[in-house]
Amino acid sequence: MNGRIRMIAFVLILASILTGALTSVEAWTKPIIARNEALKIKRNVMAALELDYEDAALEKTFADTVSVVEKEGRTFYVTDDKTVAFPINGSGLWGPISGVLAVEPDGVTVKGITIVHQEETPGLGSRIAEQAYLDKFRAKRLHQGIRITEEGKASGDNEVDGITGATLSCQAFARILNSEASANLPGVKEIQQ
Amino acid sequence: MLKLVTILVAAVLTHNIALTYLLGMCPFISLSQRLKTASGMGVAVILVVVLTAAINWPIYHLILLPTNSELIYYIVFILVIAGSVQLLEMVMERFFPVLQAHFGIFLPLITVNCTVLAVSLFMVLRTYSFVTTLVFSLGSALGWTLAIVIVAAINEKLRLVGDVPKGLRGPGIVMITAGIIALAFLGFGGMVNIQ
Amino acid sequence: MTLRKLLGKEGYKTFMKGVWKDHPIGSMCLGICSALAVSNTVANAVAMGVGVTFVLLATAVIVSSLRKLIPLRVRIIVYMITISAFVIVVDKVLKAFFPDISEAVGPYVGLIITNCIIMGRAEAFYSQNTLPLSLLDAVANGISYSYTLISIAIVREILGFGTLLGFKVTPEGWENWVVMSLAPGAFFLLGIFLWVTRTLAGVEPPREG
Repeated sequence: MNGRIRMIAFVLILASILTGALTSVEAWTKPIIARNEALKIKRNVMAALELDYEDAALEKTFADTVSVVEKEGRTFYVTDDKTVAFPINGSGLWGPISGVLAVEPDGVTVKGITIVHQEETPGLGSRIAEQAYLDKFRAKRLHQGIRITEEGKASGDNEVDGITGATLSCQAFARILNSEASANLPGVKEIQQ
Repeated sequence: MLKLVTILVAAVLTHNIALTYLLGMCPFISLSQRLKTASGMGVAVILVVVLTAAINWPIYHLILLPTNSELIYYIVFILVIAGSVQLLEMVMERFFPVLQAHFGIFLPLITVNCTVLAVSLFMVLRTYSFVTTLVFSLGSALGWTLAIVIVAAINEKLRLVGDVPKGLRGPGIVMITAGIIALAFLGFGGMVNIQ
Repeated sequence: MTLRKLLGKEGYKTFMKGVWKDHPIGSMCLGICSALAVSNTVANAVAMGVGVTFVLLATAVIVSSLRKLIPLRVRIIVYMITISAFVIVVDKVLKAFFPDISEAVGPYVGLIITNCIIMGRAEAFYSQNTLPLSLLDAVANGISYSYTLISIAIVREILGFGTLLGFKVTPEGWENWVVMSLAPGAFFLLGIFLWVTRTLAGVEPPREG
């Protein structure tokens, strides 16, 4: 019996000491982690809205130039000239894709897109997250839905080149853009009135 | 319903826990020389993975989260896994001695099999519901078993007919075989869209 | 050899065993899980190597200092609790100070807990040896784990992404070998690594059966 008690006591004491140490590590890192998350979103919104900022002054610049509007459970980021950005989420080929889409004051033209998270094939599908590719969506119009064409063949103002070897990821991305656009554009329109 | 089927197919084929996520490799190396041992381990893994996922979900969502203690969930999960394995061993010894004779030796090894902990970790990371967790854990375990069985079958044949270089025998050739199968499984990509 | 002088006879033996002769991955085949998954870029490999070494050291400290006190029957549980706690520390620190790497290796950090190397060393060595020797063993195993990961990662990153630590090193027009950054590439490279090290170290192939 004595041995049993000793066993249990040892484990409990060790576990308590370690948990105590863990709680202090948690207290130290939790605010930093939360801040990282918030900064990440802000960085992406600023990039989608094509606003410049200095890294050290990000939070201040964000607070000065962007106002956050909540409508029906959706979050919108609005600038003074009525450019609106909102988060986009959906399924890619290999995993979830999330990002930010910014729309011009006319309510229908793409200002910019950033991708926050994706798990597509490295070197192929994941190239949709490259700035050079996302730039191709600039000035494209959303009302008819974006269409992905063969690389080099995009002509209309709602067509964008695909990436050879990453067709499925590009199409999944376009699907996400279109469905998020139709879900959010009414809200955007209201804000831009 | 469709979502559950998607998750099952994804777990077995397109996002196979062994061939895509590269988990559960330790036993892969030591046990994929013989088809018999490989399938034995596979069955044991299926039992333990589903059981521990089923236990860890309520613990995480009904005990840890409401009390703000999710900080220690790693510790809790691994202890639950160790405990469940012990429990399973005792139950099998008592009520299913035939099973115990066949699969008993694999159980202690499973505690440190990355697959078991990984399934619970993914369940938390992807905030799956209870039912989804059950489907996901079953699918993952099936996928792992599928992978190890295929590799073991190939290796058995290889040893009979092939002339494997000395340095490559054992773990080396297992890796190469697994690599080729993993390459084949890549072909499943795109079958399903998973969130 | 100055290292031998520095560490003393026992210490040197312990250290060299961990680094080469009883190489955790090469000859003992432990810790393969994460070696495969995390070696796709050098940055990830370094992060994992540091993380595992840290947990090895911390576990060595606790287990070795308390080795005379740990009740025999619960020693595995003690190892588990200790290892898990320090893995949580590594996880939190990564998330706070290196969020990009944390995103890349995320769940695999948690899986350090099941990394056979740490459990194995705790049981086989730290529970029976003095603190200084255990620390040396921890460092040695940590180093060999790290260099394995990093060497595989160097090949995978150059061939699969065309970069090294994020800097482009391949010429224009180089087609990335995407397979290298995915699972099959990891398997093949580890297979080759095992082939080379086992042949060089003259390890006997396992008995058929």
